[in-house]
Amino acid sequence: MAAPTPLALVIEDEPHMRRFLRATLRGNDFQVVEAGSAREGLAQAAGRNPEIILLDLGLPDKDGREVTRELRRTTKAPIIILSARGQEHEKVALLDMGADDYLTKPFGAAELLARIRVALRHSAIPPEALEEPLLLAGEVSVDAVRRQVFRGKEEIHLTPTEYKLLLTLVRHAGRVLTHRQLLQEVWGANFVEQTHYLRVYMAQLRHKLERDPTRPRLLLTEPGIGYRLRVA
Amino acid sequence: MRSTAGSTSLREYAGATAGVLVATALCLLLRSRLATVDVAMLLLVGVVVAAARYRLGPALLATALSIAVFDFLFVPPYNTFNVVEPRYFLTFGVMLVVALTLTRLTARIREQAEAAAEREQRTAALYAMDRELADAGALSGLLKTAEQHLALVVPGEVRILLAEEIRGRDGRPAWPTGGMFESAAARVAASWAWELEEPAGWGMPRGGEADALFAPLKRPGGLLGMVAIRPQDPDRTLSENARDTLLALVDLAAVGLERRTLAERGERARSEVEAEQLRTALLSSLSHDLRTPLASIEGAASSLLESPSKLGGENERELLESILEESRRMTRLVTNLLDMVRVETGTLAVHKSWQPLEEALGVALLRLEDRLHAHPVSARLPSDLPLVPIDELLVEQVFINLLENAARYTDPGTPIEISARPENGSVVVEVADRGPGVPPGEEEAVFERFYQANGTASTDAGAGSGLGLTICRGIIRAHGGKMWLEQRQGGGASVRFTLPLSGPPLDEVPAEPVT
Repeated sequence: MAAPTPLALVIEDEPHMRRFLRATLRGNDFQVVEAGSAREGLAQAAGRNPEIILLDLGLPDKDGREVTRELRRTTKAPIIILSARGQEHEKVALLDMGADDYLTKPFGAAELLARIRVALRHSAIPPEALEEPLLLAGEVSVDAVRRQVFRGKEEIHLTPTEYKLLLTLVRHAGRVLTHRQLLQEVWGANFVEQTHYLRVYMAQLRHKLERDPTRPRLLLTEPGIGYRLRVA
Repeated sequence: MRSTAGSTSLREYAGATAGVLVATALCLLLRSRLATVDVAMLLLVGVVVAAARYRLGPALLATALSIAVFDFLFVPPYNTFNVVEPRYFLTFGVMLVVALTLTRLTARIREQAEAAAEREQRTAALYAMDRELADAGALSGLLKTAEQHLALVVPGEVRILLAEEIRGRDGRPAWPTGGMFESAAARVAASWAWELEEPAGWGMPRGGEADALFAPLKRPGGLLGMVAIRPQDPDRTLSENARDTLLALVDLAAVGLERRTLAERGERARSEVEAEQLRTALLSSLSHDLRTPLASIEGAASSLLESPSKLGGENERELLESILEESRRMTRLVTNLLDMVRVETGTLAVHKSWQPLEEALGVALLRLEDRLHAHPVSARLPSDLPLVPIDELLVEQVFINLLENAARYTDPGTPIEISARPENGSVVVEVADRGPGVPPGEEEAVFERFYQANGTASTDAGAGSGLGLTICRGIIRAHGGKMWLEQRQGGGASVRFTLPLSGPPLDEVPAEPVT
C-alpha cells in the first residue's frame, strides 16, 4: 500500500473545482498538490512524484491526449480523468491511451474517493488473489483455478468467451474497461471494432449472472465508454 | 433537314403531275360521252385535289398542266395550243382562281396544324420540365433536371451557372476557364448575354459566330444565373421553333430557381423566428427556474456559515441536504436546457451502434433507482428482441426522462411498465403508467416545450422543466423514429416510440456452446 498520506496531484484550471477537490482530499488524509494548467501539471508530476493524478479534461493550454501521453512518459501513477458530460469520445481515447478511470462532473465526494481507492490498488487484482475463490457483488463468486462460476451455491455454466470476458473484468474489478480494451483482451486485436460482439456477450453474461438483467448489480454499463465490474 | 424538305417537294410535284395525268386519262376514256364543259370540270377535280394536298408550287404545276392538257386535247382546234373561242379563256381563268384559292386555304390550315403541333410539343416540354423541377429536391438536383431538359431541345453540352459563380470580385462577370468558355467569341457572347440580359451566341442575332449559346436566367428580382449550351454540331442552325422552345425552357428554369431561392429564404426566416422564440424561452427559464434553487442554496449555505453554533445537528443536516438536492435539481435543469438547445437547433450528434435495448434501459433504471423506489417497475423485453442501432447515451436519456415523468406524475405504489417488440422493421418501445393520464386532446401538446400539466407550475417542488418529452421526441426523431402518447385503457398514459432497425448490416455474432 501507499504511504500513510498519499500525494494527489490535481490538474484543473477551474479554481472552484480545485477548492472542492482540495478540501475533500485533505479531509480524507491525502496531501494535495495543485496545478492550474497542463504545463504546470506536467512539471509537478515529474518533480513531486504523486501517487494519484486527477486530470481535468479541458485544460486551456493543452489537449487532453497530449497531456496523458506526456504524463505516461514520466509517471506510472494512476490517472483519473475529470470530464463534463458529452465528452465520451475524448474520455475513451484517454482511457485507451493509459488513463485509469474517469469521473463525470458533477460528482460527489463518495464517488471520487471510491474511484481513487480502486485506482490506488494499482488497477489489477494481484494474480495470487485469484488462487482462492473470489466473492463478487450480487452473490457471484469465481473460482479461477477450477474455472467455475457460482451464483449463491448454484454453479453457472459459461461459454469459454463468456468466462474470459468475466475474468477480464474481475482482474480489473472496480475499474472501467473500454469496449476496445475488452475486445482486444477477449477476442483479440482484429476484433476491436466489433462492439456488438461484446454487447451481445455481455447481455448473455448478465442473463446468466444477474438476478434482473435490466438492473445489473455486478456487470455495470458505462454508457458510451465500456463496462465496469462492481466491487463487493 | 434541307434534303428531306427537297425530297418532300419533289414527291409533291410528282404527285401533282400524276393527278393531272389520271384526270386526263379519265377524260380521254369518257370523251365520247362528255361535253367540253364536263371535261373542264373533271380536270378541275385534279387541280382541287393537288391544291388540297400539296403546297403552292405543285398546285400551280397541276393548274398549268391541266390548262395545257385541256387546251391541247379538248379545245378546238385539237392538238394545238391555239384557242379560237375566247370563252375558253374564262374556263382557264376559273381553273386558275380555284387552284390559287384552294392552295392558300389549305396552306393556312396546314400552317395552323403545324403551329398547333409545335405549340403542343413546346407545352409538353415545358410541362415535363416544370413538373420535374418541382420534384427536383436539392438545388443540385434542380440544376441537373433543367440541364437535362435543355439538352433534349439542343443536344450537346448544357451547363447552368449560378449568379454567385459568375459574379467576380470586381462586379464584372468572371467566366470559368476552358470548356465552353474556351474561345474568345464564346466569352464575348457570354458577357453580352450577361450585361444586356438577353440571350446571345450560337443561333442568336447577337454573337452568332460563337459556338455556344448563352441565355441569362432572368427574373424581375435580377439575374439568377446563366444557361450555357454548346451544341454537338455548331454548324447546324437553330430553327425558330427550337429557339422559342429553348428560351421558354430557360425562362422556366429561371422561375424554378427563383422559387427555390424564395423557399430557402422563407425557411431561413422561419428558423430565425424559431431560434428567437427558443432564446426567449431559454431566457425566461434560466431567469426563473434556475433562480429558485439558487436562492435556497445561497440561503442554506449562508446560515451554515454565519451561525454554526446555534444550529442543531439536525438542522445543519437538513440545510446541507437541501443544498445537495437543489444543486442536483439545477444540474438536471441545465442538462435538459442544453439537450433541448441541441435538439432544437439540430446540432444533436447521434452516434449509433447496434446493441441490446436492455443495456440503455438498464443504465436508466439504475440511475433512477432512488426516484423509482415507490413504484413497482416491470421491464418486459422479449429475449429474441433484435439489436437496435442507437446512440446509447441519448436513448438512455429518453428512458430517464420518460421514467422520471412517470414517477413524478403518478401516485406512489402505481406500476410503471416498460415493454418492447419488433414491428415493421422497427422496435416499438412502450413506457406506460397508471397515473392520471393527460387531459383528452392534449396528447400532442405534451411534446411542446415548457408544457406543464394543468394545475402545476414549474416552480412546484416536484414539477419538471416541461422539456423532458420535447427532448425525448427530438432524440427519437434524430434516430429516424416517431414518438407519441396514448391514453391507456383503464387509466394512465402510455408513451410509445419506434427505433428503426436500419443501418449498416452486422455480421452474426458467433455462438458457442457451454463447456
